[in-house]
Amino acid sequence: MKVSFFETVRYRASKPLPSEWPVPSGVYDPEAGSRAYRDMIERLEFVEDLGFDWVSVSEHHYSPRILTPSPIVSAAFLAAHLKKIKIALLGPIVPQSNPVRVAEEIAMLDTMAEGRLVVGLLRGTSNESLTYDLNPAESRERTDEGMELILKAWTEPQPFGWQGRHYRYRTVSIWPRPLQQPHPPTYSLGTSREACEFAARHHLGCGVSYGSFEGVGRATKYYREQCAQHGWQPSPEQIIYRANMLLADTDENAHETLRKLPGTAPFSMRPGVRDAMMTIDSRNIAGEARSPIVSGALPTTFIGSPDTVVDQVRRCRDVVGAGVIDISLHPPGSSDLEPLMRSLELFGKKVLPRIRDI
Amino acid sequence: MAETKFREHHVDADGFTIRYLEAGDGAPLVHLHGAGGLRLTPAHELLARRFRVVAFEMPGFGTSPVNTRTESMPELASTMARAIDKLGLDTFNLMGTSFGGKTALWLALQQTGRVLALVLEAPAAIRQEGAAAPSGTPDEIARRLYAHPERVSAPPIDPALRAKAQPLVQRLLGPHRDADLEGRLQDLSTPTLVLFGTLDGVIVPAMGRIYKDLMPNCHLVFVYDAAHAISTDRPEAFSEVVSDFLERREAFVISRAETVIHP
Repeated sequence: MKVSFFETVRYRASKPLPSEWPVPSGVYDPEAGSRAYRDMIERLEFVEDLGFDWVSVSEHHYSPRILTPSPIVSAAFLAAHLKKIKIALLGPIVPQSNPVRVAEEIAMLDTMAEGRLVVGLLRGTSNESLTYDLNPAESRERTDEGMELILKAWTEPQPFGWQGRHYRYRTVSIWPRPLQQPHPPTYSLGTSREACEFAARHHLGCGVSYGSFEGVGRATKYYREQCAQHGWQPSPEQIIYRANMLLADTDENAHETLRKLPGTAPFSMRPGVRDAMMTIDSRNIAGEARSPIVSGALPTTFIGSPDTVVDQVRRCRDVVGAGVIDISLHPPGSSDLEPLMRSLELFGKKVLPRIRDI
Repeated sequence: MAETKFREHHVDADGFTIRYLEAGDGAPLVHLHGAGGLRLTPAHELLARRFRVVAFEMPGFGTSPVNTRTESMPELASTMARAIDKLGLDTFNLMGTSFGGKTALWLALQQTGRVLALVLEAPAAIRQEGAAAPSGTPDEIARRLYAHPERVSAPPIDPALRAKAQPLVQRLLGPHRDADLEGRLQDLSTPTLVLFGTLDGVIVPAMGRIYKDLMPNCHLVFVYDAAHAISTDRPEAFSEVVSDFLERREAFVISRAETVIHP
């Protein structure tokens, strides 16, 4: 099992924050933000020393919960500060990006980071379509087309035009191209039928997140079936499972911590917007409809003592088929750094060495 | 928008009576069809709004008599050039689809200076090794040709007419890499637009880059979510880029899209 640390940048608010998304940016504290990014580097140097394989960053907007609106900027900053660890860009929200720009920036980063880049491309969570004024009803189509264009921009040796449905370019010819050829290890992220089929068709990896092992396992099973239909078999490392982990010296202490965490989703859209979104956005797990918006806190699927968590990782491998776990130790958004650093150390010493062979 | 009416005409050239369909005003655009024969698509209609579209049925295809006379692609090209002469077209734009893409390349090589711009829709002049033309039942053929068979409005080409032209196609199409033709392409400076559908399962879209490698003034465009029959799968996308290219040639790379939301 390979292990990735999901870095969310822990912003420690100096005053109570409104709970609605988007969070008014007027309450942002520049000093706290500056400290959060400094702490991030310190933390990640430790993560690197502990032997994590990857550090991952994501794209989320308009809230302090995950303070990385530009994953490219995050990844560039990390690449400059960290020496060995791979940097997983999970990922640009494709439907609201300029796909050619994404292809260029990733190629540039991969080259500057000396081939340490891993890439995940995705549609993004429901609320993100509000960020750049994107019609949620079009986001699936834009994602598929944008991803295909990114792959083409990385691999086509001659200048080409793109006559798409949502994107039109008369001439594309990116410089540099990625250092890793033909392109960095790339994943299509998401549990949907469309994301799995895209991955299978283009021989990409698949990344799923936050569901129960059985829930996301339905998606990875579907992905593997689709790969077989296209005549290939993904390696374990081509399946990433992102999840929350609460690790403590004993099972009891871990569950005690979970009980103290708020059971609600932080920074949710106001009900009128959420309800309207539910009627426009559609989401599925391997073809089976699911709600576009998760109510309540994201589940914590790795929880307990090191022994328990090692068993859970083993079960994750069996049920989900994942060869990479991308973990958020202590839930994202938590600004309590002490327990995070303690769990990191515990994970590095008591869990990591024992899951290598899983 | 009023429907553009294509009218049927005939012209004699090289002893063949050649049928063609014509509609529209503006600069002439001659079209040479693929191995299945002439069949109007919505793209013809769209192009006829801006060009005088002349879509030929090459001798031996469709309901024309079996053609046992034409021995080679250059010969077919010169027959078609004579037919174009008879229409009084001194200079013209030329579009070739698949098999007709190779005819169009030969015609442009033979008639230097007369072809203003060349459009090659999924051209069959350069093919991957082992590329096979669609065959079988009309349904099987449709699945090979189209990403969206449900969008095809015209009835399928009569399998008997398709079969009748096959010996001619076999005789004229040539090897998957045609050294004679490719050796001449470096001298063909006609502005050329090569289009491939991203889902082309007959000729892989990667063949497009070879035209760019070989030809001095060639532009390559991928049409997303289209298979071999691009103009049927995505007629609006196809005719938009083709029209823009024919009107502005190389300058078509400069966007004219307006992005003002409100003045």
